[in-house]
Amino acid sequence: MLNIKVKNRLSIFIALSVISILIIIFIFKALEDNVLYFYSPSEINNQNDVIFKKDIRIGGMVKNGSIQSNENEIKFIVTDFKNEIIVSYKGTVPALFAEGKGAVVEGKLRDKKYFVAKRILAKHDENYMPPEIKETLEKNAR
Amino acid sequence: MLGELGIIFVSIALLISLALIYFSFNEVKNSSNLIPKKIYKFSLLQLIFSLLSFVALLAGYVFSDFSIINVYENSHTTKPLFYKISGTWGNHEGSLLLWINILVLFSSLFLFINKNKNKNFKIFTLLFQNLLIVIFFIFLLTNSNPFSTIYPIPNEGMGLNPILQDPALAIHPPLLYIGFVGSSIYFSAALSALVSKIDAKSLATSIKPWILVSWFFQTVGILVGSIWAYYELGWGGYWFWDPVENSSLMPWFVMTALLHSVLVLERKIGLYSWVIVLSILTFTMSVAGTFLVRSGILNSVHTFANDPSRGLFILTFLILMVFSSIFIFFKHAPTENKNYRILSKEFFILINNWFMIFFLAVVLIGTLYPIFLDTLTGTKISVGPPYYNFILAPFLIPLLFLMTSGPKHKWISSEIKKFINIVLFLSIFLFLITFFIVKENSLLLNLILFFSIYLIIQTLFDLYDGLKSRSINLSRIISHLGFGLLIFFIFINHIFSQESNFNLRVGETKETDNYVIKFENLEKFSDSNYKSIIGHFKISNKKKLFKENLKPEIRIYNKPMTVTYEASINSGFFSDTYLTMSNISDSDIFNIKFQKKPFMNFIWLSVLLVSLGGLINFFNRKNSI
Amino acid sequence: MKKIHLLLICIFFSFIFIVLYLSLQNSKIYDTENLVGKKITESELNLFGKDGTFNTKEISNYQFTLLNFWASWCGPCRKEHKNLLRLSKNENLKIIGVNFKDNEYNARQFLQEMGNPFYILTEDSKGKKSVNFGVYGIPETILVNSELIILKKYIGPLSSKDVNEISKLIKK
Repeated sequence: MLNIKVKNRLSIFIALSVISILIIIFIFKALEDNVLYFYSPSEINNQNDVIFKKDIRIGGMVKNGSIQSNENEIKFIVTDFKNEIIVSYKGTVPALFAEGKGAVVEGKLRDKKYFVAKRILAKHDENYMPPEIKETLEKNAR
Repeated sequence: MLGELGIIFVSIALLISLALIYFSFNEVKNSSNLIPKKIYKFSLLQLIFSLLSFVALLAGYVFSDFSIINVYENSHTTKPLFYKISGTWGNHEGSLLLWINILVLFSSLFLFINKNKNKNFKIFTLLFQNLLIVIFFIFLLTNSNPFSTIYPIPNEGMGLNPILQDPALAIHPPLLYIGFVGSSIYFSAALSALVSKIDAKSLATSIKPWILVSWFFQTVGILVGSIWAYYELGWGGYWFWDPVENSSLMPWFVMTALLHSVLVLERKIGLYSWVIVLSILTFTMSVAGTFLVRSGILNSVHTFANDPSRGLFILTFLILMVFSSIFIFFKHAPTENKNYRILSKEFFILINNWFMIFFLAVVLIGTLYPIFLDTLTGTKISVGPPYYNFILAPFLIPLLFLMTSGPKHKWISSEIKKFINIVLFLSIFLFLITFFIVKENSLLLNLILFFSIYLIIQTLFDLYDGLKSRSINLSRIISHLGFGLLIFFIFINHIFSQESNFNLRVGETKETDNYVIKFENLEKFSDSNYKSIIGHFKISNKKKLFKENLKPEIRIYNKPMTVTYEASINSGFFSDTYLTMSNISDSDIFNIKFQKKPFMNFIWLSVLLVSLGGLINFFNRKNSI
Repeated sequence: MKKIHLLLICIFFSFIFIVLYLSLQNSKIYDTENLVGKKITESELNLFGKDGTFNTKEISNYQFTLLNFWASWCGPCRKEHKNLLRLSKNENLKIIGVNFKDNEYNARQFLQEMGNPFYILTEDSKGKKSVNFGVYGIPETILVNSELIILKKYIGPLSSKDVNEISKLIKK
């Protein structure tokens, strides 16, 4: 026999559970749609279904001698010593951005070899290489 | 000498803390209702020696005593005095010593100032607080000792990083520590309340001032951090949802919920369990944040250097803290009757709590998700502003509405008030004006603008009514007004911010839709520890014939060799003009980023207004809602 | 009801803490400390700026050796250079430098400006030899004894704590 009080409690409990589940689904969907995946040039090269629509991040070393500036943009090559990607970027560069150093770029792929970057990331402390890049180089060194 | 003194002071303070734990424990069984003088004296001694140890480290920095490794690594004889002093807490070990000092300070202050009649409540609070203090002292001595020495003594230090020499960055940590480290005292008080079974109202009266103080400093601390990021990072942004920023925001959500809840508890109406849980949760989030920032598992723009052993210690401590609290809570669970009804003021504060918990969960999930995903599957991702903006923005609408209508309801129960009134009409009218100026298409943004205007107008009317009738809850009105303004200006700034990126050579000009930017010339400048290249730019507004000069710099410091970019910012009344310049490989082409950021000063002032409300409540003896 | 709540909450937190603990372990993987106690790989490195090679077997001729991987373009290498110079004053310690993926001219400029702590200087301009020592990024320093056993590996710039540690280790 369910009296009013228990019924009320039950309905409140069910309502709250449904709301909570909906909210959790909402949060994780938002995460899925908005996370930025990180790739190395080799991973881009080896992928068959390349992501063109979403923003992604690519990391590696800036190839020595590859930085070029002209009126419109800066171009440089990001390499993980097995594969390369040409990056085009408009805007100011971080102080730690230089040839022969690690860089992470964020933006969209035009094709497997060409990337249009919105941001170039560099750290403010003196760590020499983001762990993602180090792991990639470790994989490639074998 | 200073190094040895420092260690001695720390060790003595640790021993005194242990003694305090022992005395407190014994005192619980004692039926007397007075706390023995012994405990007061030891607490004072503890404070003195703890402060002395901090002063020892400070002296090491001020007098450049490089026999202390911490000073050697983080300071330099040519550093200006102000930055020598702030260098004390600008590193892991020094900041940990500051943590401990604040724990001790709050412990002693609580003992001396708090007037609660329940002896056991005060004793247990002291006990729990000192358990925290002892653990942190042990952490300091075994893993992160700021006083280790080096021989032979180097004659110059290594720490002259120019990026760290900034006034905002210097005061930012102490402000935040008074905030989230200060929350330790009501963490201890909450556990104590459970064990000593003190009544709700007296708990509320005891912890409210501490909550207000820590919330105020946390708010201001976050503000200062944002201002620093805006002026120094050169991106024109002031909040990046960076894990380190999130670590300061998460305790703030809990503090805000707690602040509102303790106002309810003060009237002995309810939310006792909430107050206990939120008090425990605030400090837990603080420690969790510290763990994320110092353990090295996060990859962020401004983490301290990597050291997994620190991380392990903090994680162990966090686990102990959480499980002990859960255990104590379930063992001594408070009973309360929930006799509030729908649409009472207490009900609205309860809803607010759920909003804050939701925001906390969203930010926590966003911050932890990359770590979890990487550990469990090896996939590397980053979670940035798109996620946070997408989730949080829509929930601002109901929050703003509830902030507007909630306070109008009476305690315990109320009828639905008439919403159709002059406030609503005025808000609609002002919103329509805004809409025609802004011309924004997004329904979401328009709703947010409307409801923030509604909140602003309502609070202004409340202010007028309150002053007229001489019965006013000034603190709530000021803080909510500040919040309404903050949301309004954040979104106007978001809608109207402009950015242009282009490359220029000296002498060239770039034309955008509204502006003409001329790269007039380049100036070379030398100072004692850096050389800089200053770009002189003339910006003209095409429509208003208004001209301004901006001078972004590229600085090359020599010790250590660092390059920094100094943004040139003209903070106008209505908007800021923001210019940064960079250069690669000494080419003659300079990369320019030109931004217009409207109402930045209003954003800062709004946050100050929000925090001001808390300050007013602190000084208000009457406390009416 | 209460006990179930308690159990659920404990399980929830335990899960979170386990993952956080695992992620701490993960971040340690980059500290290839499992090489400590093993013998250093035998490798032949080209001498810097002159003909000839240096074979790691020759380390057995010295009481203690510090193998330091560095480059002129590396910021943290500048930071630790003072510490290397201090260490080089120890009689029973020889510092062997490996100039990593660098340009000879820049490397020379660097040493001229900052001082040369290296007893022998070798180069690894492609970075391929350094990988054999477990080195992928710099600065990195390996302390080896005369039996060619790795005593300690330091990833990142040498701190004064590290200098103290090395000084104590080489007194034996």
